[in-house]
Amino acid sequence: MYWEGRVLISNNLQMHGKTCLVHNSTACAPALFDVLTEDTQGQPRMKLQDTSVFDANSPQARAILHLFYFDLAISAVIFLTVASLVLYAVIRFRQRPGEGEPFQDPGNPKLETLWTVIPALILLALLVATAYTMRVVNPPVIRSDPNVAVIAHQWWWEYRYPHSGVLTANELHMPLGKKWLLRLESADVIHDFWVPGLGAKVDAIPGHPNYLWLTPSKTGVYLGTCAEFCGEEHALMGIRVIVQSSEEFEAWQQSQLRVPAKPTGVEAERGARLFEERTCMNCHTIADTKARGTVGPDLTHVGDRQTLGSGAIPNTLDQLTKWIMDPQKIKPGCNMPSLKLTESQAHDIAVYLEALK
Amino acid sequence: MSEESPANRAITSLADMKEYRGMLSWITSVDHKQIGILYIVSAFVFFLVGLGLALAMRIQLMVPVSHFMSPGAYNQIFTMHGTTMVFLMAMPLLFGFSVYFVPLMIGARDMAFPRLNALGYWLYLFGALMMYFSFVAGGAPDAGWFSYAPLTEKGYSSSPGIDYWALSLLVMGAGSVATGINLIVTVLTLRAPGMTLTRTPLFIWMIFFNAFLVILSLPALNAALVMILADRQLNAHFFSPAHGGSALLWQNYFWLFGHPEVYILVLPAFGVISEVIPVFSRKVIYGYGFLAASTIAIAFLSYGVWIHHMFATGMSYVILYVFAGSSMLIAIPTGIKIFNWIATMWGGSIRFTTAMLFATAFQIQFTVGGLSGVAFAAIPIDWQLTDSYFVVAHIHYVLLGGTLFAMFAGTYYWFPKVTGRLLSEKIGKLHFWLMVLGFNGTFFGMHWLGIAGMPRRAYTYLDRPPLGTLHLISSLFAFVLALAILVFLWNVARSLLKGEVAGDNPWGGWTLEWATTSPPPVENFDRVPSVRGRRPLWDLAHKTEGGQP
Amino acid sequence: MMERNKMGMILFLLSEAVFFLLLILAYAFYHTSGELGTQAANALDVVKSALFSVALLSSSITLWQADVCLKSGGRSQARLLLAATILLGLIFLIGQGTEYAHLLREHVTISRNLFGTTFFTLTGFHGLHVAVGLALLLILLGLAVIGTSREPTSLAMEAISFYWHFVDGVWVVIFAVVYLWGYV
Repeated sequence: MYWEGRVLISNNLQMHGKTCLVHNSTACAPALFDVLTEDTQGQPRMKLQDTSVFDANSPQARAILHLFYFDLAISAVIFLTVASLVLYAVIRFRQRPGEGEPFQDPGNPKLETLWTVIPALILLALLVATAYTMRVVNPPVIRSDPNVAVIAHQWWWEYRYPHSGVLTANELHMPLGKKWLLRLESADVIHDFWVPGLGAKVDAIPGHPNYLWLTPSKTGVYLGTCAEFCGEEHALMGIRVIVQSSEEFEAWQQSQLRVPAKPTGVEAERGARLFEERTCMNCHTIADTKARGTVGPDLTHVGDRQTLGSGAIPNTLDQLTKWIMDPQKIKPGCNMPSLKLTESQAHDIAVYLEALK
Repeated sequence: MSEESPANRAITSLADMKEYRGMLSWITSVDHKQIGILYIVSAFVFFLVGLGLALAMRIQLMVPVSHFMSPGAYNQIFTMHGTTMVFLMAMPLLFGFSVYFVPLMIGARDMAFPRLNALGYWLYLFGALMMYFSFVAGGAPDAGWFSYAPLTEKGYSSSPGIDYWALSLLVMGAGSVATGINLIVTVLTLRAPGMTLTRTPLFIWMIFFNAFLVILSLPALNAALVMILADRQLNAHFFSPAHGGSALLWQNYFWLFGHPEVYILVLPAFGVISEVIPVFSRKVIYGYGFLAASTIAIAFLSYGVWIHHMFATGMSYVILYVFAGSSMLIAIPTGIKIFNWIATMWGGSIRFTTAMLFATAFQIQFTVGGLSGVAFAAIPIDWQLTDSYFVVAHIHYVLLGGTLFAMFAGTYYWFPKVTGRLLSEKIGKLHFWLMVLGFNGTFFGMHWLGIAGMPRRAYTYLDRPPLGTLHLISSLFAFVLALAILVFLWNVARSLLKGEVAGDNPWGGWTLEWATTSPPPVENFDRVPSVRGRRPLWDLAHKTEGGQP
Repeated sequence: MMERNKMGMILFLLSEAVFFLLLILAYAFYHTSGELGTQAANALDVVKSALFSVALLSSSITLWQADVCLKSGGRSQARLLLAATILLGLIFLIGQGTEYAHLLREHVTISRNLFGTTFFTLTGFHGLHVAVGLALLLILLGLAVIGTSREPTSLAMEAISFYWHFVDGVWVVIFAVVYLWGYV
């Protein structure tokens, strides 16, 4: 596939910063972007993987891809057969001047049985391949303690790691080469967890937990998205999976378990106060502070994340300030209201949050 | 009636029919032909509306991160596009062809219940208008044409859009069931002398089984609709997980209706193709028995495949295996039909009228839609591609490249019968080629979009190759498709104003509708013809004793 | 070939059967999932309901007899039996009304829990069908009293009696599932 491996980072340019080519109104465009291979956060550069089904980076995704190749091959043969028969017939059997009535052939049960049985056999082969691949991709789950619990919300993702107690949002970290079990849950409506580069999609359904096995086989950043229509901001419910080596993953996990140091500096301290005064804490949690809300994402280590708003904008001081001032301009309909802050107030809160790593 | 024989008749167009003059004659009509025309014209108006909504979506998606419309507006528009095309356009269009041609093709004077027939149409129109009234009554429905609960619960959709959606579908559903019953009884009781069930044209055969699908699948939708209305209006808890309700019950009931519904939309198309291909190939349909039997197989199997819309919801393996098997099984009777149509053309004497062109493109495009459908039956592929643009490509290859192309074949074939005037073949061919280009250009790339990770129903997308390019191509070709429809409108208008007089049987058709005048008189036939085979007019022309089987 | 009105009615009832089947399945699904909350067994008065059910079922018999009489020319007898049918149907509806009133007094409403949700939806739609049937029977009785009970009325009578027997039959299933299942 020619597009395989082509990772374009340059397209973010018009979205990034202040120039917005396509937008007309007061707000800057939601910066849907691809910035995050840049080293803005002091993290190692990571390759942004393609979101193509053909760019399979786990045994599960590869098994699906092989089945898909098999199906495509079958489809190609059948399509070419049908299309060439049709085209041959319409060319060869065109009416010619002076032609008499053609032979009225009412049918031939033997021939017709043949073109019933042959497709049936082909489909039987596909069915066997299907059953085999299902076992490889997502075998039934007997034990139910997952490595990660994925909880979908309108319109963001919450990730809980029950073994270590880590809790994060929108960016799922996974170690390379480990077969992990994900449990999908929903806090409200039906969502769907889909990372094409890593494999199958599974619905996140309220009151009906589902399971998904994933074994990432290449480090990098994998983009995915909610695939079941879930309301106004369904389109901006991005998934970001960061696959790291076991050591890096372990280090990340340790960093998440540490409570970040209280930010210092005038702006950050003002921001911390504002965070508590201006109702932010009603919805968000920051460890070791009075903020205990659980409606929105946990912000204890928000400064560590690559993106904000479930992949809507890159996590920079500038963008975060804009987001705090009016999230409805960036992600219309999202559940975070505009708090009518001044730009300097929003800036202070952003400085505070960016320091939480 | 004063008309006695075609010779002394001066009626060559609908405008000549004095019984059809005046608004009142249309509003109060119980004539199946007028009701059929009302259905078809209304369906076409809603088709134009649905097309407009589609173009709005294509403009929004032309470039990444577009701000042509807000997410809320986009969600209403894609929901209304799907709802309009399925319930306000496709179903009434098929009903229109059915109630117009079933009595004619079986040699009857009208439907079994003419007043019920009118009721069915007016219920449809009322429901359809109510659906669109929602736009000015607080917001159109915005949860997709299959409106999954619990997104449709009051807590997540507080605007009245979903209520309008459910009520309108209930009203239209009542009309559809009435029409379905009417069609079945008509076929069973009003066939011309000598026309046994196995001598009915395949169009009749398909409509007959289709009507069973209608009356037995719509109640599943109705049950789901009254449940969601109870939840929304009376605070019941059918689909509310917080109170122990099930989020999946809606999906089961909806698709128990929804999958037969897909076949409700394609079986009449199969029927049209099975009429058009033999006439323009000058050959008897190949394997009537297999075609008829495969229709029954499809009708039965269509009730046993609904879970394939729900493979990603986390079902037990036993259920998954069963429904993967049944979903592949249903591909077989469909495949049989394609091969039988090819065999009908084989060795024939093919005339390339516009109708035949549409029927030819149908066969190839429907095959693409069928094959992408089989991909979804292979469950792990479904796990990757369901809810992506691959699905959007698939349904449009089936319903637009398939059903709509077949209905255009039927339109070019039967337009002269209905109006007495021929459509221009020249403009028709322009329409056809623009349509093939516009359709494939718009939708083929969507397979690729799905493979590249584009989820359906998203109002915007990341600026990552190849998404932008593919969306742009699709949007540009959508305008070609719209242009094709304009050409068709021009053709119709031109033909109604100054089209060539068609005569009784311009194509040399063999079924009974061609035995009467164009347009047919109110009573359809001066004398109900007697039938001795499957092709009464062929038998008449060839004087074969006993006729074709 | 069957007369077309009867055929139409049978097809309509087939469609209705699917509708009721799915409402009954929804009830059964929540019943087995143990999510019903207030259970049928402790909210409903089975004995009382059984009595009203007997009224509804006997109305099928009277209607059948009315049909028989009409065909053999016993018009006045037919009228009487038709009136009896309507009365029995009315008794059933009144019974259902008192049952609803009792439940509502106990705060078992459609929004209380899933038992309320499924119970009221299912029995409510059935009651609605009984009411529609009563309206049809009243029209028939009216026609019979006016005295035009010739062939058309007899045909309508047959079609309507199909409907009535169907509604009764559905009630048997509902009674078994909703009222008796709780005790099994």
